Amino acid sequence: MASENGAVLKSIADMLANGLKTEVEPFPETDKEFAEILLQLRQLDPKDLESKLVIGGFLDHPYGPDRQRCLECMYYLVHRRWCDLPELSVPVDPDWWCRLWRI
Amino acid sequence: MANLLWLQGGACSGNTMSFLNAEEPSACDLVTDFGINILWHPSLGLELGENLQKLLNALTSGQMPLDIFVFEGTVVNAPKGTGEWNRFAGRPMKDWVSDLAKVASYTVAIGDCATWGGIPATAPNPSESQGLQFLKRQHGGYLGAAYKSKAGLPVINVPGCPAHPDWITQIVVAVATGRGADLSLDEFQRPKTFFTSFTQTGCTRNMHFAYKVSATEYGQRKGCLFYDLGCRGPMTHSPCNRILWNRQSSKTRAGMPCMGCTEPEFPFFDLAPGTVFKTQTLMGVPKDLPQGVDKSGYIKLTAAAKAASPAWAENDIFVV
Ligand code: SF4
Ligand code: SF4
Ligand code: SF4
Repeated sequence: MASENGAVLKSIADMLANGLKTEVEPFPETDKEFAEILLQLRQLDPKDLESKLVIGGFLDHPYGPDRQRCLECMYYLVHRRWCDLPELSVPVDPDWWCRLWRI
Repeated sequence: MANLLWLQGGACSGNTMSFLNAEEPSACDLVTDFGINILWHPSLGLELGENLQKLLNALTSGQMPLDIFVFEGTVVNAPKGTGEWNRFAGRPMKDWVSDLAKVASYTVAIGDCATWGGIPATAPNPSESQGLQFLKRQHGGYLGAAYKSKAGLPVINVPGCPAHPDWITQIVVAVATGRGADLSLDEFQRPKTFFTSFTQTGCTRNMHFAYKVSATEYGQRKGCLFYDLGCRGPMTHSPCNRILWNRQSSKTRAGMPCMGCTEPEFPFFDLAPGTVFKTQTLMGVPKDLPQGVDKSGYIKLTAAAKAASPAWAENDIFVV
């Protein structure tokens, strides 16, 4: 299980390192916009990693003046290095970020 | 013997149901052990029609003493301030409320509707509903800010949607046994004994709150409901996790967020779609933070708590 997650984590990291363009903006300011992004994610095949990254607006580094990262995000499980947002449900690194970040 | 009268205005009868399910003490204990004479109650009263009017007139004229006047539901003023939409025993209920509140030794509002208007008084408030002495957070309500019952107390507010059965019977017993003057009330006239601590006090998810591990779905047995599901436990004054419901559970223990039903603003956000059971955020940060915590403190706390969170916090610890 752990090694399988490791492989997925690596393939996400590779996609981001290779310059995958993701929808970093606009940040969902209120709940309504947040819900709209979730709705788009729900329509995806859960295995469609690339679309998850694009719609989620993933970055492989912290974001913005507050240097927001997965580490502070309420969905991030520190020990499993996992994003627990049901619509994403992917391994992530503590220094990454996506526009569904919430604290 | 203390005479108690219970009337109901604009309401769903939820507080009556709650009262009839009380256990410590039960509604029967009020009569047998505490000498409370329930003159009339919507589900228990025997009198109808003229006989009921006679009873009410005997109370308003002072011929019979009214020790405890309990009111459930809103005072309905529609249409146009007449109160005709809620007639009872031959006249608008609001007129009975005015007359009975004048002669009562103690007036007790049970449930959100009677305390601050609750759901019926939510905009656009078509029934022109008011609570007895508040309309939402605004002091005054139907009886006016200056109202005091004959014992010298303002309306005693026991909020909740519904109020917990034992909050109701314990306050009634306190008043009936002459301990009414010992009741200390908060700024919203709620008995401090019940409404000083928070819903969060005693919540089994406190460890997950501390380590910032979120429950992402209802009924999940790990995680705190504050971060995603809109739990108002850290800013709601209620003893729901100290005095359990049915003696064994509470919303948050069962995996449902606290909706803040003991606070004057309930239901929050005027029930707009997407605002219930969802933590409202602005740029990813909750709009309502735990009482006494500011935004920058909250962000720092989160980073530290996440970094320190132990592995077990990510597992389901309530294994059956
Ligand atoms: S929601 Fe985004 S920022 Fe939060 S843990 Fe998941 S990937 Fe990271
Ligand atoms: S579930 Fe609600 S009451 Fe319980 S710890 Fe979390 S925020 Fe507090
Ligand atoms: S848990 Fe919250 S919403 Fe539920 S009864 Fe208690 S105060 Fe009301």
